[in-house]
Amino acid sequence: MREAWWISIIKGFVLINVVLGAFAYMTLVERKFMGRMQLRYGPNRAGPYGLLQPIADLVKLIRKESFFPASGVDILYIASPVVAAFTALLAFAVIPFGGGWTIFGHYVAGQMADVPIALILLFALGSLGIYGFIVGGWASNSKYALLGSMRTCAQMVSYEVSLALSVLGVVLMAQSLSLTEIVAKQHATIWFAIPQLLGLLIFFVSGSAETNRAPFDLPEAEQELVAGYHTEYSGMRWGLFQMAEYINLITLSALCVTLFFGGWHGPFLPGPLWFVLKLIPILFVFIWMRTTLPRLRYDQLMRFGWKVLLPLATLNAVVTAFLVVLVD
Amino acid sequence: MLDNWLPFLIYALFALAIPVSMVVMSFAFAQRPAKRTRTRGLPFESGVSQGPPKTQRFTVSFYLTAMLFIVFDIEIVFLYPLAVILNELAWFAFLELLFFIGILVVAYVYVWRKGALEWQ
Repeated sequence: MREAWWISIIKGFVLINVVLGAFAYMTLVERKFMGRMQLRYGPNRAGPYGLLQPIADLVKLIRKESFFPASGVDILYIASPVVAAFTALLAFAVIPFGGGWTIFGHYVAGQMADVPIALILLFALGSLGIYGFIVGGWASNSKYALLGSMRTCAQMVSYEVSLALSVLGVVLMAQSLSLTEIVAKQHATIWFAIPQLLGLLIFFVSGSAETNRAPFDLPEAEQELVAGYHTEYSGMRWGLFQMAEYINLITLSALCVTLFFGGWHGPFLPGPLWFVLKLIPILFVFIWMRTTLPRLRYDQLMRFGWKVLLPLATLNAVVTAFLVVLVD
Repeated sequence: MLDNWLPFLIYALFALAIPVSMVVMSFAFAQRPAKRTRTRGLPFESGVSQGPPKTQRFTVSFYLTAMLFIVFDIEIVFLYPLAVILNELAWFAFLELLFFIGILVVAYVYVWRKGALEWQ
């Protein structure tokens, strides 16, 4: 079944707005939860319960002065937040969120693009996104921005190795790189979270390092680096970096649901609803970790990534491969 | 096969349009400063303004990490195709996998013993 090109356009428009809406309200929910966890209210002035806060933020960011550092490289300075946000948004295209429907005789697929190498594509886009961070920090030509972007880059590439290896177990069990087939395989057998528990844990830890979330938010360690790679950014261009981070987080959680928790499959309720229901607890854990755990030291972070996660992930892959061959 | 990529391209256009339009809007609607002075454009320096760093240097450790990343990540990418067809080739593929990872482990032990995994 193939869907018509105009349906793809409508679906793309709807999906990208849903992702942006999810990002906007994720910031609000995060601030609300963090407020409650720290015994304060969080934003509650703009609209009832602060529900209009993301819109107020957007207006504020757009109205801010568009500042250029005098010695920065202008074109790279402007392009890098665009690159970061573009790759983050694009990554969501391959995540399946439903089984496909027929509406008024027209077929609508349950994901934006069902490509056979979806998993590799996701990691490739994630790696490309690093360019946005490192070039942005370099182009602003400031000490703190450069240090921050170097740290971001080193951290992200270190944990990307473990992230890619932790998923190898899932690929071995599903025998496919297509996310649709991985979801179908889980529906036919069992959620991969159970046989791949170690893989899930490694995926989760290196994923939160990959998205620069606390306790791995070294790139933005305020006490040492002012604000990390976006020290010289303000207004909407700063907002685009934030957008990239939050959307990366949402995509990573969606990938976690897809790879380990059976994707959109579930009894009674429709697929997209199940998908969101599974997504919310994972996002909540990320917010919870941010309020609870203190930040690591940089040498601890690197040592943990290379000396603990990498051997564990390799071991997980080898044992999985052995069992897969043994069982079949 | 290529038809799968058409929706992806459509989505990519949307994904590109949004950040670009946001940057354009930040130019169109932003407030202008009353006066552009030279100090306004200086990079942030904790209150100590010595002008921008002319040649930016960074620690060699970052470079080392990048090299390690290239070594390990490229090899992991090679493992993906093997993982997909592991079932069809059964024990032969598994032995190949062990051999491949064995070479990787030798390199890993060497790097560890050399102290390249320690952050300095």
